[in-house]
Amino acid sequence: MNLERVIFGFFVILALTLNVMFVMGDIDNIDHHNVWILTLAILISLCTTGLKLGDRSQIGALLLAASLVADLLLIAARIVWIVAENETAAGPGPESIAMIVSIAGGALVANIISCIIVIGDTLMSRR
Amino acid sequence: MATTSELDRVAMVVLRFMRRPFFAIVGVYAVGITGMALIPGIDENGDPEHMSLFHAFYFFTYTATTTGFGEIPSAFTDEQRLWAIFCLYMGVIAWLYAVGSIIRLLQNPHFILALNEHRFAKIVKRLNDPFVLICGFGDTGSLLARGLSDQGMRAVIIDSDPERIKALALRDYSMRMPGLCADASVPKHLLDAGIKSGHCKAMVILFKDEDINLKIAIIAKFFNPSIQIICRSTSARHQAHLKALDNVTPINPFEIFAQLLNMAVTSPQLHNLNSWLVHAPGVSLGRPLKVPEGHWIVCGYGRMGKWLNKYFAEQGIHATIVDPHIDDIPENSKVIREHADHQTLLEADIENAAGVLAGTNHDGDNLGILMCVNALNPRAFTIVRQNDHENQLAFDAAHADLTLQSSLTTARRILKFLISPMVQTLIDNLHKSNPEQTAALISRLQIAIGEHSPQLWRINMCSRETSAVCESFEKNLSLTLGDIIRDPHDLENTLPCVPLMIERNSSQLVLPENSEVLQDGDEILFCGTTQGKRMLLASMNNPYTLDYLLTGKDPPRGYFFNWLSNKLESHAA
Repeated sequence: MNLERVIFGFFVILALTLNVMFVMGDIDNIDHHNVWILTLAILISLCTTGLKLGDRSQIGALLLAASLVADLLLIAARIVWIVAENETAAGPGPESIAMIVSIAGGALVANIISCIIVIGDTLMSRR
Repeated sequence: MATTSELDRVAMVVLRFMRRPFFAIVGVYAVGITGMALIPGIDENGDPEHMSLFHAFYFFTYTATTTGFGEIPSAFTDEQRLWAIFCLYMGVIAWLYAVGSIIRLLQNPHFILALNEHRFAKIVKRLNDPFVLICGFGDTGSLLARGLSDQGMRAVIIDSDPERIKALALRDYSMRMPGLCADASVPKHLLDAGIKSGHCKAMVILFKDEDINLKIAIIAKFFNPSIQIICRSTSARHQAHLKALDNVTPINPFEIFAQLLNMAVTSPQLHNLNSWLVHAPGVSLGRPLKVPEGHWIVCGYGRMGKWLNKYFAEQGIHATIVDPHIDDIPENSKVIREHADHQTLLEADIENAAGVLAGTNHDGDNLGILMCVNALNPRAFTIVRQNDHENQLAFDAAHADLTLQSSLTTARRILKFLISPMVQTLIDNLHKSNPEQTAALISRLQIAIGEHSPQLWRINMCSRETSAVCESFEKNLSLTLGDIIRDPHDLENTLPCVPLMIERNSSQLVLPENSEVLQDGDEILFCGTTQGKRMLLASMNNPYTLDYLLTGKDPPRGYFFNWLSNKLESHAA
């Protein structure tokens, strides 16, 4: 067992699960999407990026790229939320919510790719 | 400019051929159109009218080309019809003459030749990957092209025999190999074939005529002094000439053939290794031929037979020579001056012979000798020389113990020279050293590679492929050969590959030990499986894997984990 793999694996999988938690539900229903989960997902995704800084291997470079994509998209989704905050009393209106969730859905793909790479790398090393 | 001269020639030939038909058509059109415009006609209302020049041209065009739209714009008068008949015959005849000239031009052999040369030069000019220029596309040339194609290298071919170039177009090579049917000793054709191109890596000259070979080699050296040339040469005079040129390797098929035959007889293990490395069919490593000692019969005492007899004499093997034309009688050998047949073989004591070499330069004779041997003494070891590649199937059916084909051995040697010149150095080195070394290498290869097909590859220490190795050189870490071939999945084992040779500052280290410390700029020749090659390149390119191979520990990756592990270590201390 390797402490580095445990910590990094934890963050990658947590980022993925939080992302899924936010995206799940009707795309234009604000009751199904929690802004706290989105904020937490951004935080964890940023941590994952930080952990990969300085890795000189090819796989490290790919993981860094994937996690940067996730950061970018999640932050974009959060900015849209802030802009559309006052559309209704509960928060963004249905159209804005649909846009926010679809952007977060893009980040989900990047997170899934990260997860697949981590699992593949672990299986490949077999030691 | 020589390269544009083909285009000039093509254009010139076309112009010269088409000049007369062109003038004929222009003349007929001029007469026809003028006449039609001058002859008065009548319009629908019965008023007199002259056809305009444009209408006349329109009428003449559809009439001369036999399209025939009718009498436009209005019905003709009899005078006009008379002229129209004249126009029709004149126009059609002029056109037939022009079309016939074009067809004649397209069938003109000089025109076809000029067009082919032009096309070939254009294709070669457009090549943007390395290629080998092969002059002579006989048995050896085509086998060489096949070998290059298997290695993913392109060849450009010149031969003066049109049949061979036609055959080239029908081969299923892995890439297109442009071929030109021309005399290679004409400098212009060498230029067309890209002798001056930076992509032309080497030139192989394989013609039978040695004077021509020498001439081509010298011309090529004038055009491109740095080009590597391999030239077929069997006479001492030509070889001396060629050796004086820089970067030219004369290659003598008879000598190569005799060397191989000698290796097969005197060091069968090495012959087995060599055949295995060049992927000869039906060879498995570690099962060398068992060449018996005793009484041998050598049929055919030409250039090759003489070489072999010399080697036999060195090994203390006594041979009886059967050949109708023996000029110098070798010592300690029984000689029968007859063609080898049933009677003479009996005379040579075939029934008690250990082995027979059928080495005449006629495939029919050689096959006949094999048949006699099979009838008279089936236990005898048979070595047969195959002269013509086309007879392959007959020789396969004859089941000799060893079939050697001169063109094949030559092609393989050239290919080895072009692709991995280190292998031949290794074989030569092993041949000189004692047989135990060969046996040790063979058992090592058997363990590492087993039944897989062997791959040969060379790696330059510190190139783009081996970035991790470069890093450790920069850090002044001592890296041994054993470290880099360790298996990352199991540090106790090594990858399925064997380092055969290290080339360092133009000196060569054959069969290096695992404890050998690597230096910047080393070229290492490996033999192993495809998977071994992939794994080896992976560990030499990934600094973490290389570090793991050296220390057995997984280093932390990334700034955070580096910081964390330093903290933990300082805590522990």
